[in-house]
Amino acid sequence: MSSLADRLRGVLAPGSRERSNPELPSTSLGASRILDPGNDAAEILGGEWRETRGRRFLIVDRKYSPGYRHGQVTVADCLPPWPRLEVLASGGSCGPGMWGKPLFLDLETTGLAGGAGTYAFLVGCGWFEPFAASDSTRQPACFRTRQFFLSDFAAERALLESVAELAGGIDCVVTYNGKTFDLPLIDTRFALQRMAAPFADAAHVDMLHPARRMWREEDVECRLTRLEQTLCGYEREGDVPGFEIPSRYFRYVRSGDARPLAAVLEHNRLDIVSLAMLTARASRLLANGPSAATTPREAFGMGRLYERAGMLDEALACFQRARTVDAFRAAAVLLRRLRRYGEAAAAWRELLGTRDCPAGYVREAMEALAVHHEHRARDLEAARRFALQSLRLQATAARQDAVKYRLARIDRKLGMIERAAALF
Amino acid sequence: MLPARRTDSAHDQTLQSVVDRLTGGLSDRPDSPDGWVTAVRRMAPRAAEYAPFPDAIDPRLRQVLGTRGIEQLYTHQAAVVEHTLAGRNVVITTPTASGKTLCYNAPVLSEILKDPSARALYLFPTKALAQDQLAELHELADRLSHLSELEIGVFTYDGDTPQDARRAIRGRAHVVLSNADMLHSGILPHHPRWAKLFENLRYVVIDELHAYRGVFGSHLTNVLRRMRRICQHYGSNPTFICSSATIANPKELAEAIVEQPFELVSESGAPRGEKFFLFVNPPVVNQQLGIRRSYLAETRRIAGEFLKRQLQLIVFAQSRLTTEILTTYLKDDFGGQPGMQELIRGYRGGYLPQRRREIEKGLRDGTVRAVVSTNALELGIDIGALDVCVMAGYPGTIAATWQRAGRAGRRSGRSAAVLVASSAPLDQFVVRNPSYFFDAPPEHALINPDNLHILVDHVKCAAFELPFTTMEQYGKHDVQEVLGILEESGFVHRAGDDGDGTWQWTNESYPADAVSLRSISSDNFVVIDTSNGADVIGETSFTSGPPTLHEKAIYIIEGTLYQVEKLDFDGRKAYVRQIDCDYYTDAITYTKVTVLDTFAQGSGIGDQGSRAIDSADLRSPLPDPYARRSHGEVHVSSRVVGFKKIKFYTNENVGSGELDLPEQQMHTTAYWLTVPKAVMAALPFASDDRRDGVVGLSFAMRQVAQLLLMCDRQDIGISIGSSEMGSGVIFGGQSLDSDKHSGLSSKNDSRPHLPDEPRIFVYDNYPGGIGFSEPLYGMHDNLLARTRELIAGCECQHGCPTCVGPVGNTGPLAKMVALRILDLIAGAHSALQVSA
Repeated sequence: MSSLADRLRGVLAPGSRERSNPELPSTSLGASRILDPGNDAAEILGGEWRETRGRRFLIVDRKYSPGYRHGQVTVADCLPPWPRLEVLASGGSCGPGMWGKPLFLDLETTGLAGGAGTYAFLVGCGWFEPFAASDSTRQPACFRTRQFFLSDFAAERALLESVAELAGGIDCVVTYNGKTFDLPLIDTRFALQRMAAPFADAAHVDMLHPARRMWREEDVECRLTRLEQTLCGYEREGDVPGFEIPSRYFRYVRSGDARPLAAVLEHNRLDIVSLAMLTARASRLLANGPSAATTPREAFGMGRLYERAGMLDEALACFQRARTVDAFRAAAVLLRRLRRYGEAAAAWRELLGTRDCPAGYVREAMEALAVHHEHRARDLEAARRFALQSLRLQATAARQDAVKYRLARIDRKLGMIERAAALF
Repeated sequence: MLPARRTDSAHDQTLQSVVDRLTGGLSDRPDSPDGWVTAVRRMAPRAAEYAPFPDAIDPRLRQVLGTRGIEQLYTHQAAVVEHTLAGRNVVITTPTASGKTLCYNAPVLSEILKDPSARALYLFPTKALAQDQLAELHELADRLSHLSELEIGVFTYDGDTPQDARRAIRGRAHVVLSNADMLHSGILPHHPRWAKLFENLRYVVIDELHAYRGVFGSHLTNVLRRMRRICQHYGSNPTFICSSATIANPKELAEAIVEQPFELVSESGAPRGEKFFLFVNPPVVNQQLGIRRSYLAETRRIAGEFLKRQLQLIVFAQSRLTTEILTTYLKDDFGGQPGMQELIRGYRGGYLPQRRREIEKGLRDGTVRAVVSTNALELGIDIGALDVCVMAGYPGTIAATWQRAGRAGRRSGRSAAVLVASSAPLDQFVVRNPSYFFDAPPEHALINPDNLHILVDHVKCAAFELPFTTMEQYGKHDVQEVLGILEESGFVHRAGDDGDGTWQWTNESYPADAVSLRSISSDNFVVIDTSNGADVIGETSFTSGPPTLHEKAIYIIEGTLYQVEKLDFDGRKAYVRQIDCDYYTDAITYTKVTVLDTFAQGSGIGDQGSRAIDSADLRSPLPDPYARRSHGEVHVSSRVVGFKKIKFYTNENVGSGELDLPEQQMHTTAYWLTVPKAVMAALPFASDDRRDGVVGLSFAMRQVAQLLLMCDRQDIGISIGSSEMGSGVIFGGQSLDSDKHSGLSSKNDSRPHLPDEPRIFVYDNYPGGIGFSEPLYGMHDNLLARTRELIAGCECQHGCPTCVGPVGNTGPLAKMVALRILDLIAGAHSALQVSA
C-alpha cells in the first residue's frame, strides 16, 4: 500500500497543468534551515533588525543628500513645498498646508493576483526630510527611504505596526498605479491583521494617471523606468526584471540566502526615488503654469489636469499653448461650457483648420458651429452652410435626420419653406 | 380565441377521461411490462396540514406575509423554521411547489429584522435560479422596509455582476445570492473585502442539494470546509438550511457535504390533489431488430390528447434539439388558428431572462397552454401548477423524474404525469420494470471529498486564503502531511517555530483559477468546431477524451453530429466538423485493471462474510465455489485501439477502424465480482460462449450500476481481469469486443482468452475515485438481482444494447450463459446459507 506521501506526489506529478515556481532549490529543505538568516540578511541588505513580541523584521534606511544625482536631476532640484500637488490628486481633500509633506509608497509583492494570499514582502516608503510637523521651520533638505522587509512571515503584524507608526497621520500618499494595486493590497494586509489602515483618510496621488496624460508616448506603456529615462535621463544597469521578484523572495524564504534580494531592494529604492522626482517635476510644471510646458502633449495633459481641478483659466491657456487637435477641441468645449461663445466658435474654426483632423471632431465642430451661428451669432446663412456641410458627414440615418431637422428649421427661419419641404 | 380554461370539476372530469382513454379505463392496475401503458399509479389526494407561526418569527414579517394571504404555515415549513431559529442545521425534502423557499426566507428575514447586522448567504446551482429567488426576496424586503425603516439589501453576486457594483454589494447586502463557483474563486480568496459578511454570517442556504453529487459535490464539500475556516477566523458559526429533491440519503448527503449534524424534514404538509402517473412504451414495429416507434411521435400524440381538451401541460425533452422538434410538432398540430401560436412555447436555459419571465408568467396566468422545455424548468422556478406533465425520455434518475412530474399538480383537483420511454437502454429498463421506479427507494447521492486530487487543490486554495497552522486539521487525511508534500513543490513554506508555526503561501499563482468544480483535474480536452472558423463547443475530461474524441469519432452535442478530424493529444484539443451521417461510433478500449489494495471482501450474502482484509487473508482466499465481492484501490491502464461504426436506430455494425492512441493510466477505486472457477467449469458451453457470457454479464452489470449509483455512462468503467495477484489480462473494455466478430487484428500475439476465475471490475472513471465503489459493494445483492431481472426480462432474442450488448459484440448465447452464471452464483450462495 503506497503511503499518503507517495500518492500525493503522484497527484502533483509534472503531468498536471499548474506549475509551481520556476526557480526551485535543488534540495528540498522542508522545515529545517541550514543557513541562519539572521545576521546575514541584515548585513547583506544593509539594514537593522527590529523585534516586537519575539518576532523580527528588517528595516533598511537610506538617505539621499541634496547633491545626490539621479541621471540629470538632483535631490535639491526636487525639494518641496510643491504648491500644486493637489492638482495631481483625484478626489480626497486636504488642507492647503498639508500638501508639502507627501509620503511615497511602493510595494514589492508575492504576486499580482491580489486576494488574501498575496502579500507585500517589502514595503518601501520615501519622504523629504525634515518631515515632522514640529520641524516645520526647517526646510526639507534631503530625501529619505525606509524599507520594511518581511524576513519572517510570522512577523507581518509587527512589520505593519512599524509601517503604521511611520505613516500614521500622514495627509498625502503618492504611488505609481497605487489606486488599483498598492493601496488595496496594503489595506488588505492591515485588514487581515485587524488593524486600521493608515492610508484610509489620506489624500492619494496616483502618478500613473497624470504621467499618462502628460508624458505617454505612442504605443509604449507608460512605465516608471521609461519616464525615468526620458525625464531624468537615468538608465538603470543590471536592474532585476519585475517578473523575477517574487521568485527571488521565495528562494530566500526557503534557503535563507538574502543575496539575490539586494537587487530587489535597490530596485524598490530606485522606484521610490524616481516617483518622487516625477512628482516633483509634475508639481513644478503645474506651479509654474502653462508656459512651463515643454511639449504639446505635456501642455495638453496639464490642461486636462487643471481643468479637472477647476483651474479653468490655466486649462485654457494650456490648450492654447498645445495647439494640437485634441487641445483645440478641448478648448472649444471648455469655452462653450464657460459660455464664452465667441471664443468657442473661434476654437472650433481653428480645429477645422488643422491638418489631419479626425472625422469625429470635424463633425462635432460643424455641429457646434451650426448651433452657434443659428442661436447665438444669429447668422443664419453661416448656420445653414455649416449644417449642410455636416449633413454630408453624418454616419447614421438617425444623425442625418437630426441635421435635416436643423436645416429645415433654419430654412424656415430664412423664410424658404419650399426648400424645407423638399428635404423630406 | 380558445375558450377559457375549464372550471375545476369539469377539468377533473376531462383529465380523468383522457387518462381512461390512454389506459383502457383501468387505473391502478397491475404492471404489464410488454404493454403500451406499462404502468398506472394513482396517488391519493392529501389535505393541507397547518401549524402556527413559531413565536420567534418577527411580527413585522408575519404582517407582511399576512398581506400575501399567508396566515399559517404548513407543518413542514414551521418545522424548518423552528429548527433554524434554534440554531440547528436542517435539510428539507418535500416536493416542488410545497413552499420550500418560505422555509428559509422566513427565518433569515426575521433574524435580519431583529438584528440588522445579521448576514446570510444563499447558494444556487444556476444563475437563473438565483435571479428568480432575487425577485421573490426583493418583494418581501420592499414590503418590510415600509414597516421597519430598514433597507434590507438583497443582491446576486456572481460572474455577471459588474465590477463597480461589487463594492457596493459587499457593503450593503444583508443577503447575498451566489453559487458555488463564485464562492470558490470570487469570494473566499478575497475574504478580507467580505469581512462584514463573514463576521456576521448567521445562515447559509444551499438549494437543490442533490445537484451536488459526484465530482461537483466533492468539490463543494471542500469549498465549504474553506468557508468554515474563514468563518472561524472571523468568529461566526452559521446555521445551514438545505433543500433537496427526494433522494435515498438526504440527511447523509447534507452531513457529508457540510460535515455537521442535520435534522431532516421530509413530510410535506402542503395539499395535493389526486395524481395519476403513467408509463408508456412505444410499440415495437420491427420484431426482428427490436425497433420501436419513435418516442417523439408518441409524445406528440399523447400531448395532443390533453391539449385538445384545453388542459395545460408541460413537456420535458432531453435536449435542446428534441425540445425544438416537439415544439414544432405541437405548433403544427395546434397552430392552425391565428393567436394559437403563442399558446405553445418552447423554453430553455439559454433564452434571455425577459423571454423566460414572459413564458413563466404566461404559464401562471394560463395564457400559455403548453410549454416544451429542457430540464431548465425542472428546478424551482415558479410556474404555477399545471395539469399534465409529459416526459419525452427518462430523465436519467428517479429524483429528476419526480421533480419533473411535480410540475403537474394542483392543490385540489386532478393532475397527471406521463413518462414516454425512448429506445435507450436505461429508458427501456425503467419502463419495463416500473417497480424499480415506484417501489424501490430512490438513488443515493454519493461524494468523495477526500479524493486526493480534489483535496490537494482545495488545500492550496485554503492555504492561500488563511495560512494553516501546524496544529490544524482539514478533511480526513493528515493535512500536515499534505502541506509537507506541497512544500516539496514550493507552494508553501513552514514559518515560525514547531509548536507555533504557520504554512506560508509561497507561490505567485491564484490557486482557485486552476480548479474547475466540475472536474477532477483541469486537464480537459477541448472540442473545437472548424465548420465556420474555430469555436469551442464542448469539453471532456482527460479520461473521456480518447474514447470519445479519437479521429473519425462521431461527437454528438445537443443532437448535432460532428466528426473528429484531428486529435491533438498533447495540446488537449479535438478539431471537429459538422457532418450528416446515419451512424455513431463506439470506441474499443483495452483496459487492464490491477488491484493495488483490497479494502474489504465478502461472499456477498448481506452483511455476513464481509470483513476487512489483512495480509494473511490474501494468501488464503475464501474457498470455492462461492463468488466473491470486493472493493478497493486499483490501477487502470487503458488504450483505445479501434472503433466501430453503428447505425442509429437499428444498431447494426456498419464499419470499423483501427486507432493508435497513447495509453492512459490512473489510480482509482473499484468494486469487483469474482466468478469462481467452479462456476465457470460448471457451465455446459464452449469456451467462446463462456467468454461471451462473462462479457455480456459485465455489460448488463454496468447498466444496472449506473442506475443504482445515479451516475452517467462515462462516470464508471468496466473491465474483466483474472485473479492472479498483480497481473490482469488485457481483455475487454468499455465497448467489449471479441476478436472474431470485429475483424480487427489484435496487437497481441494471442487472442484474448478468458481467465479461469474472471473478475468483473466496475471502477470509478475518475482518478482517485469518486465514492462509488464502497456503496456498490454494499449494494452487491441488489446489483446482481437487478442484473438478472434486466437480462431475463429483455424481449430480445440474442442480445441488444439494453441487456447484454448489441448483437455483434457477443455471440448468440451471451444472454443464456450470463443468466446461467448468475443462477449458479445464486445457487451456490443459497447452499452457503443453508450450510451456515
